[in-house]
Amino acid sequence: MLDYFLQQLIFALAIGAIYGLIALGYTMVYGVMRLINFAHGEFFMLGPYVYTFIFSGLIGLGGLAPVLDSVIAIVASFVIVGLLGVAIERFAYRPLRAYGRLAPMLSALGMSIVLQSAVRVTVGPQPVHFPAIVPSTPIDALGGMVTTVQFGILVAAVLLMVGLTLFVNGTRLGIWIRAASESWTTSSLLGIRVNRAVSLVFFIGPGLGAMAGIMYASYYGIMQPTMGSVIGLKAFTAAILGGIGSIPGAMLGGFLLGAIETFGTAFLPILSFGYIGTEYRDVFAFAVLILVLLFKPAGLLGETVSEETTVAKKDY
Amino acid sequence: MNRTRILLSAAALLFASGAMPVLADDIVLGGSAPMSGAQAEFGQSQIDGAQLYFDQLNEKGGIKGNKVVFRPLDDRADPRQGTLVAQQFCDDSAVIGVIGHMNSGVTMPALDIYSECGMPQVVPATNPELMRMGFKTVVRPVANDFVQGALPAKYVTEKLGLKNAVLVHDKTVFGQGIAGVFKDNFEAGGGKVSGSYGTNPEDVDFSALIASIKLENPDVVYMGAGMPQLALFLKQMREQGLKAQFIGPDIGFTVDFITQVGAASAEGALMTFQLPPYDSSPELKDFSDRHQARFGRAPGPYASLGFANAQVMAAAVEKAESLDRAGVLAQLHGVTVETLLGPVAFDENGENTTAPMYLYVVKDGKFELIKQ
Repeated sequence: MLDYFLQQLIFALAIGAIYGLIALGYTMVYGVMRLINFAHGEFFMLGPYVYTFIFSGLIGLGGLAPVLDSVIAIVASFVIVGLLGVAIERFAYRPLRAYGRLAPMLSALGMSIVLQSAVRVTVGPQPVHFPAIVPSTPIDALGGMVTTVQFGILVAAVLLMVGLTLFVNGTRLGIWIRAASESWTTSSLLGIRVNRAVSLVFFIGPGLGAMAGIMYASYYGIMQPTMGSVIGLKAFTAAILGGIGSIPGAMLGGFLLGAIETFGTAFLPILSFGYIGTEYRDVFAFAVLILVLLFKPAGLLGETVSEETTVAKKDY
Repeated sequence: MNRTRILLSAAALLFASGAMPVLADDIVLGGSAPMSGAQAEFGQSQIDGAQLYFDQLNEKGGIKGNKVVFRPLDDRADPRQGTLVAQQFCDDSAVIGVIGHMNSGVTMPALDIYSECGMPQVVPATNPELMRMGFKTVVRPVANDFVQGALPAKYVTEKLGLKNAVLVHDKTVFGQGIAGVFKDNFEAGGGKVSGSYGTNPEDVDFSALIASIKLENPDVVYMGAGMPQLALFLKQMREQGLKAQFIGPDIGFTVDFITQVGAASAEGALMTFQLPPYDSSPELKDFSDRHQARFGRAPGPYASLGFANAQVMAAAVEKAESLDRAGVLAQLHGVTVETLLGPVAFDENGENTTAPMYLYVVKDGKFELIKQ
């Protein structure tokens, strides 16, 4: 039984890491702009498509060592999707900033449809096979079995999360981001260029989303234009669970949601003696979410926002 | 004044939006299947197959000297879009018969609309319920899911001697239904079903579920679900070292299944399909060549079914005393015709009395027919 538990824990960590990475994008944008970026799931989807494009392009040009090709393609997808995020913020959200919160949110929904349809039209609607970046070999660990891909996902995701935490807490650019999310007006009075902080957030968030997309596609072996919708919603849930606006909260929320889903599937039938099947997994997962929000409306690590600060932030 | 102008422009709009001009004595037949979206490959292949037959018919002078115009519309595998398409066909009095829809979930709500306007309908969808709902306007030349679930159950219990199965389904009408049929037949063959698990139609991660299925130690896993879920499940199953015999329904009968699973992991997987391979008879080979010549590509998975359905519809039109819906409908159930896929005749429910079903196994990265 312990083996079984450890095995499930490995699955939970792998999917949780992916949820966490995407949730970071939602939470950072919300932190700085109080905007729920509904287009975020599409950056996740674009990641593997851009990767495949660059990677096969490199191979087509003769290619370098296969490892080097992959690394270049990964970095390039981070940068390209990140820049796309910056451009979308600049041209689809920023002009609407003066019109309250609803307008940019609708614009985000529109962007989501635009991006998804664009990929559907140009590349095609069918799921496409995505070859794993590292070959998937099973390794025995802790009485369970972990594949190299799962292990790679976990390591890469934790590295990215640690990197982001160091960046936000320890660098000058990170101070911009934190200042802008604390108070827009005050930071601009103190000489911080708030718009640059926003652009930065819209570079990092989509970039991380693209990384999560590449991990996801190489984990499951496929990519499709609609893959961002369901998982985007899940990651958004994870961000809320952890406390939207909080960076550690998004990571925690991601891992928690992964764990709830996995253990829901693994143990619901056993614990209920077969009366509650695996099909109740989502009912269970979202019931947990509602319970958490009933007792901690700001999420697990979210700051309780007073009426006053909300007003101040809204009228930046 | 204003009102007249509005009326006039409305009338103009109506004229402008009317589809391509149809000569008075043309026979207009509708067809509908998903031509965009994830199932486009299947849907488009049906439409192409039907188009090929009608082209051939027109070359020989059409039906009773009238040219046949085939009008395909995209239902996107979406029940809401499907009902809109059905209404559109009903409202166009020139349309005297419809071949569609491909998905059972799309066909079900559309049946009502077609029956209300007396539209003769040839259905390619396979859910058994469709023909038991009491509509008199439909026939189905293709085998239903009772046959599809029964064949592999019989094969694994009798030929392979496997007796312990686990069912996985995606909670859809199709997935859950066919898994249930497999279960009944598997148990009737002396097998034991040790667990039945539901997933979401959009799920991609089955690792937790597979780990708990491993505890049951089954030798057969039957999965009633769509693509890419069938492929993802088998891939993850093999990654976790679960060696059980995998069986899936018709949706998995595509090259994508093998590429997405990986040829090595897909080896030995069983899949049911309603149609024989294109190289299995001289007629089918000839069909395949003509398809290549007409569209510049090999026939898709359901192309021969589209062709056979068109043959059934054309046979009913041929026999009709008047070239309208009532005339065709009067002949539809009584029609007997030798199609590309074998003889077709209908029972009192409109089901084909001799609809075949085929079992395929993945071998060396290809689907290979298992001779019965």
